[in-house]
Amino acid sequence: MPQSQKPLELILARNLMSALSTPAFLVDEGGLLVFYNEAAGMLLGKRFEELGSVGPQEWGSMFGPFDESGEPIPYDELPLVVAVRNGRPAHASFEICSTDGSRHTVEASAFPILTAHGTRGAIAVFWPSSANGSGSQS
Amino acid sequence: MKVKLWGTRGSVPSPGPETIRYGGNTSCVGVTLSDGSLLALDAGTGIRNLGLSLPAEPTRLHILLTHLHLDHIQGLVFFAPAFRAQTEIVIWGPASPEASLRDRIARYISAPLSPVEVRELPCDVSFRHTPETEWEIGSARIRAASVAHRGPTLGYRIDDGEDSLAYIPDHEPALGADLEALGEDWISGFALARDASLLIHDGQYADAEYPDHIGWGHSSLSHTLSFARRTGAARTVLFHHDPLHSDERLDRLGAEARERWESAGGRPGSIELGVEGAEYEVQGQSRSAAPAV
Repeated sequence: MPQSQKPLELILARNLMSALSTPAFLVDEGGLLVFYNEAAGMLLGKRFEELGSVGPQEWGSMFGPFDESGEPIPYDELPLVVAVRNGRPAHASFEICSTDGSRHTVEASAFPILTAHGTRGAIAVFWPSSANGSGSQS
Repeated sequence: MKVKLWGTRGSVPSPGPETIRYGGNTSCVGVTLSDGSLLALDAGTGIRNLGLSLPAEPTRLHILLTHLHLDHIQGLVFFAPAFRAQTEIVIWGPASPEASLRDRIARYISAPLSPVEVRELPCDVSFRHTPETEWEIGSARIRAASVAHRGPTLGYRIDDGEDSLAYIPDHEPALGADLEALGEDWISGFALARDASLLIHDGQYADAEYPDHIGWGHSSLSHTLSFARRTGAARTVLFHHDPLHSDERLDRLGAEARERWESAGGRPGSIELGVEGAEYEVQGQSRSAAPAV
């Protein structure tokens, strides 16, 4: 019997995110980035279809994020990771680097996708607070 | 594996002279496995006639509910075997964080909606949440998975030897998505239906009707054709007919489905509309000619 299938909750989350103008990211229960929408792609400078699913190390090497002093933020401290691992919402402000080298300060809020069978993944929405990296951090 | 359609209508029973050929009873499919085990897929009003067809002798059967909308459970209190002490019934359905399956069904099988309570049923009835992993009933392996509909809703796949049946009667896989563009693992219900010998799938709306029903949890004809093509089901039955669709309207919808399927390269005779009383001998697992509908 075929087994490979994304959980419905991730499918519906992706469908919703596809219709939003707010940058949004989706990870599965293992923390693998499985989708981001067009608005997020504009922020990063690369569409999801060009990038595909990536793990945290590859993601970090391409986009960050970085703290206010420019240091990479540990993977375990990212809101999406906190949300999917701990099953609770998380929020942070940080910088990400787009493919053209520009930095963007964003507010990121993540929340877990909880079901009767446990955590399926997590969603994060990014709210750009600066387009050129000069914005203040909260 | 033998399959019989006892109720093909969606939403609400629709008896009358205009629906006499396709039938007015709501969702219920009887399945007899190769070892003789009995399954009922959903318990719409069609399950009443299924119950009447069973001999009045000790019987064990499993009822697999996709969800608890009334058109899928309304027949439970008219299911004759439930009123026999020698009957054992196992009812499977989706879990909910809000209440147990038994308690949710009891909202219907209780006053003032019902003259009997669950606890008063003479049969031996038990309620089980479907597990995340596949399980066995008789000679079959069963798998349930959540699918896109309104509220917690399952689709089922039943594998009995080389024969496979996928049952997804209430399904809107194209909600907010382009079925033709999505990767297979991002299509709701895909793994359940993949290469199934027989796929029984939501076919409630004509394409022209769908825009007024986006988000209602059902498919248009184009969605069903696309889903059937993508999953490679060998044979597809459109199910859960809209209560407003008369026999004549369904004849036209069926003709359109066949024409579009075959003109796109689909195997003739491998797509049809469900008719109450229709029976199928499900055999083999062959991938259909994949048309580009």
